[in-house]
Amino acid sequence: MAGARNPTARASAHIVDREAVAHLKQRFAAHNAWGVIALFAVLALLPFLPGFKPWMAGQISLVMVYIVAAQGVSILTGYTGLVTVGHGGFMAIGAYASALMVKHWQVDILVAIIGGAIMAGGVGVLLGLVFLRLAGPFLAIGTLGFAFFVGTIVTNVPLFEGREGISLPKNKALGLELGDVGFYFLALTTFAAVTLFVHSLVRSSVGRALTALRDAEKAAQSCGVNRLFYRMVAFTVSATITGAAGALSGLSVRYVSAEVFADIWYSVDILVACVVGGSAMLMGPIVGGAFVALLPFVLEKLADFSFILKGVVLITVLMFAPAGVCDVLARPVRAWRRRQLERAGAGSGAGSQAGAKVEPLKRQEG
Amino acid sequence: MFGQQLASGLATGSLYALTAIAVVVVFRNTRTINIAQGDFSMIAAFIALLLLKAGFGYGAALALTVVASILVGVIVERLVMRPIADSDWLTLFTATLGIYYIMHGLAGWIWGRDTKAFPVAFESKPIEIAGIVVSEGHLINMGWAAAIGAVLFAFFRWTKQGVAMRAVTDDPETARLMGIPVRFIVLLTWGMAGFLGAFAGVLLAPIVYVSPQMMDEVLIKGYVAAVFGGLYSIPGAVIGALMIGVAENLAGGYLGSHYKTATAFAMIVVMLALRPQGLFGIQKRRDI
Repeated sequence: MAGARNPTARASAHIVDREAVAHLKQRFAAHNAWGVIALFAVLALLPFLPGFKPWMAGQISLVMVYIVAAQGVSILTGYTGLVTVGHGGFMAIGAYASALMVKHWQVDILVAIIGGAIMAGGVGVLLGLVFLRLAGPFLAIGTLGFAFFVGTIVTNVPLFEGREGISLPKNKALGLELGDVGFYFLALTTFAAVTLFVHSLVRSSVGRALTALRDAEKAAQSCGVNRLFYRMVAFTVSATITGAAGALSGLSVRYVSAEVFADIWYSVDILVACVVGGSAMLMGPIVGGAFVALLPFVLEKLADFSFILKGVVLITVLMFAPAGVCDVLARPVRAWRRRQLERAGAGSGAGSQAGAKVEPLKRQEG
Repeated sequence: MFGQQLASGLATGSLYALTAIAVVVVFRNTRTINIAQGDFSMIAAFIALLLLKAGFGYGAALALTVVASILVGVIVERLVMRPIADSDWLTLFTATLGIYYIMHGLAGWIWGRDTKAFPVAFESKPIEIAGIVVSEGHLINMGWAAAIGAVLFAFFRWTKQGVAMRAVTDDPETARLMGIPVRFIVLLTWGMAGFLGAFAGVLLAPIVYVSPQMMDEVLIKGYVAAVFGGLYSIPGAVIGALMIGVAENLAGGYLGSHYKTATAFAMIVVMLALRPQGLFGIQKRRDI
């Protein structure tokens, strides 16, 4: 899979021809980048194809919303190893904050989306502080409780207009009225920006600190990685991204109601999207998000059947590809690349499975 | 007023306790946060409704439902949980999410998404005890919960399987070496989850009505209660459940019904923030 976590890291010691290996690694990285760019190019050209209808733009926007939300979850659950079942709460906060801003202050929707994201990020900071000491199942339950708490608030506090919901006027960005296709490009831009951001974050020192904490907490701490600081960073960034997705989801249908956001379905769906796709890979949330969002659409008439199918696929994936669909799809590519690297490195030994996981930590030490 | 709120709080709390105990028992024996626990109850409520409509008596319907629900638990273990039993807790947890999807979908498919009323087994007339007016239904619910609690106590205390189950809880590896059939105990654990789910479902059905999503909120309250016991202690979970029942009833009575559910969710946040190890400070270090 293009854009997957760099598998070339596995080829390790005893490399003779370092230059050739470095060159090859660069080429592989370029392949990944081109794969992702190709995906976005296709999405950008889609509306210009003959036979493309405006409703498709709306539908694909919704898929991208799911993907962005899942990307937010992947930062926390995939890269940091903190499982969250409450990110639907952040989606709700993003959606309601942006909707209220548009309704009461008639702001530009770009401002509303940023506002919604910041609001969610702010609550993310608070939640991160409250759940500072929690990990594992306790954090999962805590975040689930948070999602339900947000749900009861938006259902019952009059400001949020409960199940009646808030209807919004036509979307306006930079003074222009946005139709379905216009909104599609806004969602696509957000999607692309978040993808680029996640990619850079994971490869930055911050990202390495996060994965180090996930894989070997004690060792990372002893190397000077401030656990609480990076936890808060992960919480905040993840909540902000998911909040932006929430804002987009409300604005795309110009309607925000407790009917949609008080349930835990969003929370569960975006976690499942992460897990099905592969939560610690760039393509993971993209594939998983598309799966989760498209399934009910494809089986529109059979809503309950789509639930069953989702469950069956989820369990099958967990049994046969616990690291996600993308991990399995990327395996042949990885194997091929490793062979190439070994050949280029002339007599280099095959890296061990474990080597890949501790990799970020090693780099920190060096 | 206060007495009434307290009594009905204890009554609902004792039903939450059934879910909480099931969550605790499954977690401490299998490391699984079972999000499908509510769905065991939901399926049981539907089965009971079906049997009652088919003309079975209340007792017979309840007995058959309990058996069916235990079977559901056992099937879930055999088909889904056993093949992935050695995975990390996230995989186990997400697998129960899959079961949650499937059961929601199945129930919606077979029985529809609308809420259905559930007949009560008895005329609920108010009874006065020491100046407090209590509904008979509340007393009966509390009686059921207490009876199930007694059965569980006896099971863990005096039966071979119960003692074996506690051994598995304490240390699965040693239990295996001592010749305890750990797999069978795990199967039994899921059966127990089905058993408790059946009672929770049938007893709660007249209150929350029957629908695929009937147990969603109760499940979260069960989780909160389980956290009160540090996800480990059954008495802790029961006390937590009773506290939630009382707290939400008092909040509903004095602040307005809107605050009823919000109270439980606020409690989980406070509890987890202050005492993640549970009320009684059980600090069992385990790899999760």
